[in-house]
Amino acid sequence: MTTEISKELLLRAYRMMRRIRDFEERVHVEFATGEIPGFVHLYAGEEASATGVCLHLRKEDYVASTHRGHGHCIAKGMALRSMMAEIYGKKSGICGGKGGSMHVADLALGMMGANGIVGGGGPLICGAALAAKIKKTDNVAICFFGDGGSNQGTILESLNLASVMQLPAIFVAENNGYAESTSSRWAVATGNIADRGAAFGMPAAIVDGHDFFAVYEAAGESIKRARSGGGPSLIEVKVNRYFGHFEGDQQSYRGADEVKKLRETKDCLVLFRGRVTKQNLLTNKELDEIDAEASDEVQDAVAFAKQSPKPQASDLLTDVYITYA
Amino acid sequence: MVDSQKLLVGIIANPESGCDIRRLVSCASVFPTSEKVSMVVRVLAALGSFGVEGALMMPDKSGIAAGVLRATLSHAATSGEPWPEVQFLDQKIEHTADDTRTAVRAMLSAGVRTIVVLGGDGTHRVVASECGATPLVTLSTGTNNTFPDLREATIAGLAAGLCATGGFALSEICRRNKRLNVHFANRHEVALVEVAICRNRYIGSRAVWKPDDLSEIFVTFAECDSIGLSSIAGLLRPTSRDAAEGCSVWFNHKNPVSWVSAPIAPGLIRNMPIGSVRPLPLGQQIAIDAEYGTIALDGEREFEFTAADKASVSLDMDGPLTVDVRRTLELAAGRGLLASRISHTLTHKKRTTE
Repeated sequence: MTTEISKELLLRAYRMMRRIRDFEERVHVEFATGEIPGFVHLYAGEEASATGVCLHLRKEDYVASTHRGHGHCIAKGMALRSMMAEIYGKKSGICGGKGGSMHVADLALGMMGANGIVGGGGPLICGAALAAKIKKTDNVAICFFGDGGSNQGTILESLNLASVMQLPAIFVAENNGYAESTSSRWAVATGNIADRGAAFGMPAAIVDGHDFFAVYEAAGESIKRARSGGGPSLIEVKVNRYFGHFEGDQQSYRGADEVKKLRETKDCLVLFRGRVTKQNLLTNKELDEIDAEASDEVQDAVAFAKQSPKPQASDLLTDVYITYA
Repeated sequence: MVDSQKLLVGIIANPESGCDIRRLVSCASVFPTSEKVSMVVRVLAALGSFGVEGALMMPDKSGIAAGVLRATLSHAATSGEPWPEVQFLDQKIEHTADDTRTAVRAMLSAGVRTIVVLGGDGTHRVVASECGATPLVTLSTGTNNTFPDLREATIAGLAAGLCATGGFALSEICRRNKRLNVHFANRHEVALVEVAICRNRYIGSRAVWKPDDLSEIFVTFAECDSIGLSSIAGLLRPTSRDAAEGCSVWFNHKNPVSWVSAPIAPGLIRNMPIGSVRPLPLGQQIAIDAEYGTIALDGEREFEFTAADKASVSLDMDGPLTVDVRRTLELAAGRGLLASRISHTLTHKKRTTE
């Protein structure tokens, strides 16, 4: 089969990226009002990565995310309403408002959660992938992590474990150039995170994270390999974030026009639109309709979150402890 | 500021080579940054032994320049062996092929005598588009490398040092290579090994590894012991680097005339459905007859096109000059240039140009 992508999938890809972008741009605005508790770390600019990977996944596949997890959650199928409510700390949130941005999770969708621990997703997906292997389900587990996470022992140990046990695990390093404010060009000793794959006997590749098609192709090959028993692999997605490490980050470590130029030249949504319309695969009208739908959906999610009640004192100990008896 | 009074050699080491999707779909190895650094260091050691005073390097933010800088500082602190002074070009880094183009232009302005290139076919293609008559010493750090030499960097460095200081005429030690010209939508691009017309609509992850994606290939040369797409032609109609023609292969996926089993990527041997195999004469412009697709230059999809772009391919002999490493060392040995180094480095003879 030659490499082709159906019109339906192209529409899904654009819709997914647009929903993530609008969600994050709106959280950026709403956070400034002071209504959202805690910290948020926004994914805008990296949409092609989550979308290119997650479009290959089934509900039963697992994803472990990062502190910058909203995009992964949306790509794995979480509803915008319950996500936004969770970020607002409301009772109607997917975790009852107790998780917030960095712990938003939905195990029913295989979404093992955003994670406040940098590099914390690696051991989680090793467990999920081991379960899949033992049960012979052909499910796979994906760990998204950043360039900062790539230097954590948890990720290195997980790469080793996944390789030793030949787990159906895919490690997706979203290298956005900065671990908080520290440049990955200084902090990643091997230069490329993908270079580390060889040390663990694992195939590894680098893709352009601004190009949905590049990520989709590479992730497809990795996931196919893992499902068929070929073991783990590592994909380094070279990408950029549009906002700071967290909302409120002054970003004094970035060039004056860095983000402006990224938005002008490497916006995955703009690049996608240009390609599919040039080839007459989708029309601007079809894409504009998706833009409008996504905007409405995000507006609805914000309204839902704002009008939802907060958890009460009586909710304090619910969903915290579990009895296995 | 670059001191152009010094005897200079340029070094281009592509941080992006050897890392693409073929690690996932074939048995290709990652070519790590650390090994590229090590290769540059070995080149520097060889250049220093011939009295090359300065090396101009393309900067990068992927660890090669940083690694070389660390190595030079360490060397200066621990060794008395002469190395050329390494200067990193002062240029903006965009992480695109334009970085290489900018660096090569700066090297030519500074008067480098030769450029050592570490990369794959694609890297050499980009350097070739800018290097003019300056000879290249090629080193493979890519995947399906056919154009550059797969050899020890120290030996390549010796040849580069001899090329810069040995007083050879370029006609003695260099080969003029063929190139393919691709014209489309008012653009002109070159390839050094092959141009592949692919049925993929998107550049995507760039590499080409699925037989069904291929419509046609044009090659400058085709060796039967090569790896990559040109191996298909090499196993059907071997064509040497010096032959005054290239070769084209058209794939017929519905009614193939024959099949050939070819190593199109490391560890990836695929049956290819052959429609026709033809010589590709110099100068003949061949129109690409496809409604849409992508054009891969030297193994990587570079451009998406439609019929409106009126793409065409032609072959000429205006590719880059490359140093024949073996020939250079043979000549140097025959002239006693290496033996004379026992007590002193070579004097800096002015090169006799053609």
